[in-house]
Amino acid sequence: MILLEINNRIIEETLNNKIKNALAGHKPESIDVKIADFDGVLFHISNVGGDKTKIRISISLKFYMQLQEHGADELLKREYGPLLTTEEDGYNVSLLIDLENLPEDWEALVKNVGLLKRHCFASVFEKYFDFQEAGEEGHKRAVIQYRDQETLYVEAKSDRVTVVFSTVFKDEDDIVIGKVFLQELKEGRRASHTAPQVLFSHREPPLELQDSDAAVGDNVGYITFVLFPRHTNREARDNTIDLIHMFRDYLHYHIKCSKAYIHSRMRAKTSDFLKVLNRARPEPKNIEKKTITGRTFIRKE
Amino acid sequence: MSATLKPYLTAVRRTLTAAMCLENFSSQDVERHNKPEVEVMSSKELLLTPVMISRNDKERVLIESSINSVRVSISVKQADEIEKILCHKFMRFMMMRAENFVILRRKPIDGYDISFLITNFHTEQMFKHKLVDFVIHFMEEIDKEISEMKLSVNARARICAEEFLKRF
Amino acid sequence: MAGRLPACVIDVGTGYTKLGFAANKEPQFIIPSAIAIKETAKVGDNSARRVTKGVEDLDFFIGDEAFDATGYAVKYPVRHGLVEDWDLMERFLEQCIFKYLRAEPEDHYFLLTEPPLNTPENREYTAEIMFESFNVPGLYIAVQAVLALAASWTSRNVEDRILTGIVVDSGDGVTHVIPVAEGYVIGSCIKHIPIAGRNITYFIQSLLREREIGIPPEQSLETAKAIKEKFCYICPDIAKEFAKYDSDPTKWLKRFEGINSVTKQAFGVDVGYERFLGPEIFFHPEFSNPDFTTPLSEIVDNVIQNCPIDVRRPLYHNIVLSGGSTMFRDFGRRLQRDIKRTVDARLKLSEALSGGHLKPKPIDVQVISHHMQRCAVWFGGSMLASTPEFYQVCHTKAAYQEYGPGICRHNPVFGAMT
Repeated sequence: MILLEINNRIIEETLNNKIKNALAGHKPESIDVKIADFDGVLFHISNVGGDKTKIRISISLKFYMQLQEHGADELLKREYGPLLTTEEDGYNVSLLIDLENLPEDWEALVKNVGLLKRHCFASVFEKYFDFQEAGEEGHKRAVIQYRDQETLYVEAKSDRVTVVFSTVFKDEDDIVIGKVFLQELKEGRRASHTAPQVLFSHREPPLELQDSDAAVGDNVGYITFVLFPRHTNREARDNTIDLIHMFRDYLHYHIKCSKAYIHSRMRAKTSDFLKVLNRARPEPKNIEKKTITGRTFIRKE
Repeated sequence: MSATLKPYLTAVRRTLTAAMCLENFSSQDVERHNKPEVEVMSSKELLLTPVMISRNDKERVLIESSINSVRVSISVKQADEIEKILCHKFMRFMMMRAENFVILRRKPIDGYDISFLITNFHTEQMFKHKLVDFVIHFMEEIDKEISEMKLSVNARARICAEEFLKRF
Repeated sequence: MAGRLPACVIDVGTGYTKLGFAANKEPQFIIPSAIAIKETAKVGDNSARRVTKGVEDLDFFIGDEAFDATGYAVKYPVRHGLVEDWDLMERFLEQCIFKYLRAEPEDHYFLLTEPPLNTPENREYTAEIMFESFNVPGLYIAVQAVLALAASWTSRNVEDRILTGIVVDSGDGVTHVIPVAEGYVIGSCIKHIPIAGRNITYFIQSLLREREIGIPPEQSLETAKAIKEKFCYICPDIAKEFAKYDSDPTKWLKRFEGINSVTKQAFGVDVGYERFLGPEIFFHPEFSNPDFTTPLSEIVDNVIQNCPIDVRRPLYHNIVLSGGSTMFRDFGRRLQRDIKRTVDARLKLSEALSGGHLKPKPIDVQVISHHMQRCAVWFGGSMLASTPEFYQVCHTKAAYQEYGPGICRHNPVFGAMT
């Protein structure tokens, strides 16, 4: 698995089970599940008011207010339409699935519900991609605090959209490994002509953010994606959003995998060293060896 | 093998072979105790002058010997940040498994990355020349392994970056 | 600290891994503890062969997907509850976290489980993986038996929440009887029994083979398994049960309908005595295994008699069931009755031997069944990991960096005092 999946497996599996159960005519069972996803997202799947045929999926994002400024509500309305329901207390968005009233293509519906988090993120990108398409300049930069200390900035120019991620490395070793990854990302453009330009800066924010209150520190890294119209046009934008909103998790996932890889190399080498060391032990003499017929075999010196 | 590595390793090998002339020696301070004198350093007369062999300012070996024990401390080449953390990780990883590595010291001496402590009990149970072989093998391999690990991490990073960018 | 993300609870067993977020009633995933990797034909031992230059080590599948992957070798990193291959275990966890749970490990505390009699070194290795590779903020390694005890709290009053009891844990491969006193496993008294779910399936299969000819041979095992899960129960007395079946077969005989996977034709199987004979091998092991003849109830009694004298009474009072193979109807009742009989006989004997001078206080035998039994260990973990106390007893990353992996050798017991 190189790329992380975008959809949420738990939601999909839970809903699939429920729906198949309902279609098979079994009695519906109650459900109350709370799960998490990347970037501090919380989901809550439950029944509304004790009615076991109504399943409500709620999502809570700490930064939903910031997304709302960029039209998250409209986008979700477009994606889910009639599924949207009044949001549950403590959550930002709620969807409702009625088991007694399922559409024909419920599988597609479940897939789409699994992408709830992605759609929430998508609004801000779509809005700025539109700005770029229309050639509107001078809009305020969008700032999304997508994790406690990490921020996402989006800005549109007439010929490009810049997306800047700030990310924090919690571990000192991660800073070093992270730097290697980001360096390669910067140079990775050579491999693919269609890729966006990537810049990265360590410790200090890039020039675009000089006037903002972006964090500065040893463990902070900034990654800038410069997206050109070929990424932001109507056909390509969904793919671009899929990739870019997972970038931070992708980076951290691979840093962790690298460490796991280093571990397995170290295990191999350590057992190799042990073998060499054990060669220093003299072989125990006088072990009785037996032949296949059971006779004792003694080697004469 | 570069020009300086061979004489460096030869020097370590010779010194170590000479230093590994150990005998059983009971503690002078506590009755019925037997301690590696190079660790307790209780009496000057039991210690020999430590020898330091260095290839350059980063790579060096300190061999401290005493009547019943030798302590070999190695400082491994660390060219850049990534090698530094790899080396640090690796040494910690090995020292966590010191139980299996009979002669490995659980903590390195200050200023070194890893230390071995060889006592007369070890030399009685194991072949001396093979123990020396092990230390030399370790020194050869560790440099190789760390630079290989570094290359692999770089390669991984490249593949990951390209995979990600290719999808756009 | 409100608003914290829920802890992740991962119970890696020999056969199945249960994973999910704390505070839920059921694990979000139950997947086989299997990992499918690409094997190279290089020489050298396992670990040396796996060292590659690129990202080949990311090319693997776990769980059910492992069996579907073609061209891969399926491995089990866990044997007899203990981790055998740490390389594979690390990668297994990698996918558990990133693909299945979709959790950023830096944000979640983790509760992992270990079998009784796990070595302290294994705990250190686990800690090494969790803290160094995954940067988890906190880790707690809980003993499975203790979690199973905690899971039984759901069916009882708050004041009865004790961590002393005997856990009868029966999965697919083996059954363990594990005494726990105040949250600590009495390691020297643990007993393993070679009778568990798989043996029942085999036994039913052999019974069916003698009588039913309609079952396609390649499906006989899964048919037996389905019958076991659907129809089997424990009876109070086999002789009476036989009589009951003979006098009124229509009432007791069941019919199992299956579909031949090749020809797609339906076939039917009459299910008769195996309904109660199957699980009966817990109490009459000689039916299926001529080398092992001690009934489960006797083993539980023996284990308790081996324990220190001051915990025996509380142990009899709290016999907790866990694992899928204890889910048969009336399993708990039968176990309780049989143990009670043995205990009462012993008390009567001692009364007789004393010539009537001693009147022992009767021993209260109680077997606890509850509806979380199937994933009792996971559920216990989920419950404990959602208490605020959990965050206090967790080993933190800061402590790990300060003191090293040694801190994870000991994981304090908690939850009993609240």
